[in-house]
Amino acid sequence: MAKSSRTTSKQDATFKGSVTETSELKPFQILAPDGKPVREDLIPDLELVETLYRKMAQMRYLDDKFFALAKQARLGTYAQFGGQEASQVGSAFALERSDYLAPMYRSTAAMITHGWSTKNAIMYWRGHPEGWRMPDNLNILPIIISIPGQYVHGAGAALGAKLKGTNQIAMTYIGEGGTSQGDFHIAVNFAAATNAPCVFIIENNGWAISVPRAVQSKVDYLMRRAEGYGIPGYLVDGNDVLAVHHTAKQAVDDARAGKGPSLIEQMTYRVRPHTTGDEPKAYRTEDEAHEWIEKRDPISRVKKFLELEKRWNDDREVAMIAEIESEFAEALAAADAAPAPDPRALMEYVMVNPGQNLIAQQAELERRIAAFGGAA
Amino acid sequence: MTQIVDRPVTGETKPMTMAAAITDALDLALGHDPSVVMYGEDVGNLGGVYRITTGLQKKHGIARVFDCPLTESGIVGTAVGMAAVGMRPVVELQFGGFMMPAMDQIYSHVSRFRYRSRGRWKTPLVVRFPVGGGLGLLEQHADSPETYLAHTPGIKVAYPSNPYDAKGLLLSAIEDDDPVFFFETIKNYRDPKLRMEVPTGYYKIPLGKARVAREGSDVTLITWGGMVQECETAAAAAAESGIQCEIIDLRTISPIDLETILESVEKTGRVVIVHEANLTGGMGAEISALIAQHALYSLEAPIERVAGFDTMPSPFNSLNHFSRPEAIHIADAIRRVLSA
Repeated sequence: MAKSSRTTSKQDATFKGSVTETSELKPFQILAPDGKPVREDLIPDLELVETLYRKMAQMRYLDDKFFALAKQARLGTYAQFGGQEASQVGSAFALERSDYLAPMYRSTAAMITHGWSTKNAIMYWRGHPEGWRMPDNLNILPIIISIPGQYVHGAGAALGAKLKGTNQIAMTYIGEGGTSQGDFHIAVNFAAATNAPCVFIIENNGWAISVPRAVQSKVDYLMRRAEGYGIPGYLVDGNDVLAVHHTAKQAVDDARAGKGPSLIEQMTYRVRPHTTGDEPKAYRTEDEAHEWIEKRDPISRVKKFLELEKRWNDDREVAMIAEIESEFAEALAAADAAPAPDPRALMEYVMVNPGQNLIAQQAELERRIAAFGGAA
Repeated sequence: MTQIVDRPVTGETKPMTMAAAITDALDLALGHDPSVVMYGEDVGNLGGVYRITTGLQKKHGIARVFDCPLTESGIVGTAVGMAAVGMRPVVELQFGGFMMPAMDQIYSHVSRFRYRSRGRWKTPLVVRFPVGGGLGLLEQHADSPETYLAHTPGIKVAYPSNPYDAKGLLLSAIEDDDPVFFFETIKNYRDPKLRMEVPTGYYKIPLGKARVAREGSDVTLITWGGMVQECETAAAAAAESGIQCEIIDLRTISPIDLETILESVEKTGRVVIVHEANLTGGMGAEISALIAQHALYSLEAPIERVAGFDTMPSPFNSLNHFSRPEAIHIADAIRRVLSA
């Protein structure tokens, strides 16, 4: 079989010009990649900027550690978000804690920003049942692997909150590849038609495993679809955490004010493999990823800004890293100390009122545990 | 254990068709629980293509009963999100044959949302739809897709055969904290032969409990939904030749009431399973396997199945009476199982 990078070129030749540039639309920015403000007028309180920076730095550390743990088989297959910290932290930070988040498999940073614990995240990616349990005080819907189901659940949660009159809103995430699914259209159209308070985020990271963005759609920017749903659409530099947060906050406030849903496309890049089981060398050159890592990294951008503002220095950086490391070590130790999963968890929570079939199968599981042992 | 006619009619009753009994249940549920909402295609203003929700929007308001975009996947998928945040959506799909666009939401999410979150998120939702053939309707207007759902863990499937059961099962389904799929046989909706006295009050029939619709000692007919009526016709004809059929109306396909099935099979030793869905891999296969596992030595004859052909359900509306099991086909199977 030919190297996939060549396969991609062949496909490019066949479908040359498949993306239509329809205008001069440029992603919204507050900070340039060098950390200098493009929009002085929109720089928020530096306290907030620092909070976002710290959260992103924590997420980068976590993502790297998760990758390392997976390589040591101390975590299962894991979908990295590294490089997309601004896109996830900036948007999820615009939510109130009581709002609903409908995540997908790459949304770990958004989930932790919304209150999920590092320990739970480790347990989840280890396949430990306790990691699958979402604590009662967190309104984070289950992680969806088969995208784009979560988009429809987000629309439903938002509509439910609206009908209950609770003033909560929902935010949901998808990648650019997921926008080709029927349920993407279904969810956004449903929410628009019912004026449900849902913020739909597209994290356009350029790649659906090995399939580049151009294969998904002829349109230049996916947020243009918003017009077809009669809702606001935003195009944002997804590696500019201030632009992401500013836009998400606008969409969140609009949703809460009864103005209905919005669609936000955050332009970013999947600098990491699709998952720990993927090898990007098979289908893309590293040049493009390097360009994003070297010149457009979301974390160093905001760090440079904070340094320019004299809000940040090496001492603070060192202190922060030490804090992040010790917090992570503590979470990992807690996860490691968790008891091995009880195989009985397999049969729990299937139904509130199980029928004869499940009761018989529970008995069979007990028999197996007695016969073959219950250790994981 | 055997319940011959478990229709404890107490209080005020009214003659109701299947359609009227279902409407009555929906109306009562809306009055009973403010978290119940109903939506789907045409259910609001029109009252549904079979007019089951007629008058409900006017009575309970547009925030409780409403029309939504034409999307089965959207109707079911939003119901998952809505149920998670504390509502009890009771949604309608226009036909059982239109369920498939929602199958990803059903298979991947409705069935697993609670399991996936280890109980954090519940899915107390009901999906109702008209099913079954015999009326010469169009393609995909005559399907009986219960098998796909029974094979899917985490959900319940109710398939009533008469107005009393329909109302009681539907009220149970709406109160149930598990997702329930509710099958409504089109041919039964307004059949005057099925019209019966139904309590006007709020009552429930437990999900997962079968009904012995007719007592007999020679052969057990196991069936549900619209096929119960066909079995009753076949049993009445058999009785004229001195053959006493027992009819088990499962009422709920998932979970199955194995106890009631086995009790009857141990008594008669002969079994005919009747369903409208096509034969291969149908619920008849599962029930046969359960009987073989638990009551093989009670059997006097091989188990017979009367089911739809492995084709499209009710294709060519001029040939419906060949494709959909009817009393004559069931009578045929009764003769086979008795002569074995």
